Amino acid sequence: MQYGLALLLAASLPLSGVVALAAGAPPSEQIQSDISTREISIQSNFTGINIVLFGSVDFSRAPSLDESPHDVIMVIRGPNEPIVVRRKERVAGLWVNGPSRTFSSVPGFYAVLASRPFRAVAPEQTLKDLGIGFAYVDLGKSEPPESTANDAFRASLVRLRKSHDLFKESDDGVTFLGRSLFRGSVTLPVNVPIGRYTTQVFLFRDGKLLNQSQSSLQVQKAGFERVVYMLAFNHPFIYGLLAVLMAVTTGLLAWTIFRRD
Amino acid sequence: MFQVYLPVAEISVNVLVMLGLGAAVGILSGMFGVGGGFLLTPLLMFSGIPPAIAVATGANQIVASSVSGALVQWRRDNIDFRMGLVLIAGGVVGAFAGVFLVKLLSRLGHAGIFISLVYVTFLGVIGSLMFVESLRAILRTRSGKPSQKRKPGEHTWIHGLPLKMRFHRSRLYISAIPPLVIGAIVGLLASVLGVGGGFIVVPAMIYLLRMPTNVVIGTSLFQIIFITAVITILYATLNQTLDVVLAFILVIGGVIGGQIGANTGQKMKGEHLRILLAIIVLAVAIRLLFGVVVTPDDLYSAAPLGMGV
Repeated sequence: MQYGLALLLAASLPLSGVVALAAGAPPSEQIQSDISTREISIQSNFTGINIVLFGSVDFSRAPSLDESPHDVIMVIRGPNEPIVVRRKERVAGLWVNGPSRTFSSVPGFYAVLASRPFRAVAPEQTLKDLGIGFAYVDLGKSEPPESTANDAFRASLVRLRKSHDLFKESDDGVTFLGRSLFRGSVTLPVNVPIGRYTTQVFLFRDGKLLNQSQSSLQVQKAGFERVVYMLAFNHPFIYGLLAVLMAVTTGLLAWTIFRRD
Repeated sequence: MFQVYLPVAEISVNVLVMLGLGAAVGILSGMFGVGGGFLLTPLLMFSGIPPAIAVATGANQIVASSVSGALVQWRRDNIDFRMGLVLIAGGVVGAFAGVFLVKLLSRLGHAGIFISLVYVTFLGVIGSLMFVESLRAILRTRSGKPSQKRKPGEHTWIHGLPLKMRFHRSRLYISAIPPLVIGAIVGLLASVLGVGGGFIVVPAMIYLLRMPTNVVIGTSLFQIIFITAVITILYATLNQTLDVVLAFILVIGGVIGGQIGANTGQKMKGEHLRILLAIIVLAVAIRLLFGVVVTPDDLYSAAPLGMGV
């Protein structure tokens, strides 16, 4: 009942939280957060990693027990990249790639964790402005422009990313330990792109955005994998030569070991 | 447990599965004396390796198997180096054209279907021809008639072309144009398909150039080393789709499989061996055809701009 009322109130005053913050009104609550791992190294045994985002709500005034609880939403975004989405069409009995749409900056990884269903936490407009959830995730400019909000290409891109564990949404991914401590965990799968990831933690109450905190983490290849990757992308000609050398040497060795003449 | 992360493909694969795949193709190449690339690349795609990575990495693996194969033939003096060099000269031009063609088609989003269709066409035609030929040979042996010997080379229009060269080892005095053109076509196909091209160059040398059969395999292997080496470097430089870790696993599997295959192959009759290979080739062609004809589970696909299938 309390939540319902909060939602109703928030819906009638869209963006009130953001406006209050922007106007320089002293925020009543502050949020602090951090990540369990700031640097993730990908090596040959990498099969994915679980990271924990945690934090606390610092009260500027003591809350009474009958006050509505705080809500936390966490957004983790991987490095952006332009992506082409194509739809196959049947041409002379064959399935050939037909129409396509390019999105200019699609995050390589995107996860949203919340302490309650998003729509119960904040009004649609706020979720949209902050790019929270699959419906509102910022994918950059679309070429050609999207015709409707529920574009099939956009929906398919999200679905494909979801099926590869690269896009995640969790309504109950954040848990409160008591009134002020909270934590959320997310798994970066084996196919995560390397680069800089940003994490945003939003604090809501009664549908209003009270405060937010940001941090970042770095995913990079390490050791032998790093050497191979750097060589392949920064010195591709030398990399190709070495690959040929590897093959020639192995072929020569095999012949020497197994020769019968 | 046996998962290993591929730094360029950015996926994790099971080492044992990939070793097994390399070994299976190695067994076949040892048994039949073919490079096996035309099976390796589709098998890599079936097991979830992106097509662009499969093509580049497949080419790298063939460098290794053709080096050891060519060394065996060289010891038996079965390589016509002069013919090999002419084929390579044409092949390098074809390989460049092929890599650029794949790059262009990737940008348009048609590389995947193009590669599949070229595979289906070539594997289908060669598989069917081999199947019919070996079935006839088996039936002929059954009915007790001796197997037919091919007639010695006759003069065709090919022998009237200019730029004549003497190929001592092949005992041929022909124009350099046909081997150059054959080399270029093989180079083009090899770079598009990520194969050595032995399954095209061997029949071409026998039926078009009328080279003696004993130097055909050696010369083809010698030529394949250089073409696949060029393709490997081109893909690494232009497309950045070569995964050397995957290539190394496949090479090791291939070396082991090649030894098993060479021993098994000697115990089987030629026509039985050929009909078995024909069936495998046709099966791969049908599986690839299925992929482009059957309605896909998902009509949509996503790939980074300028890349993908």
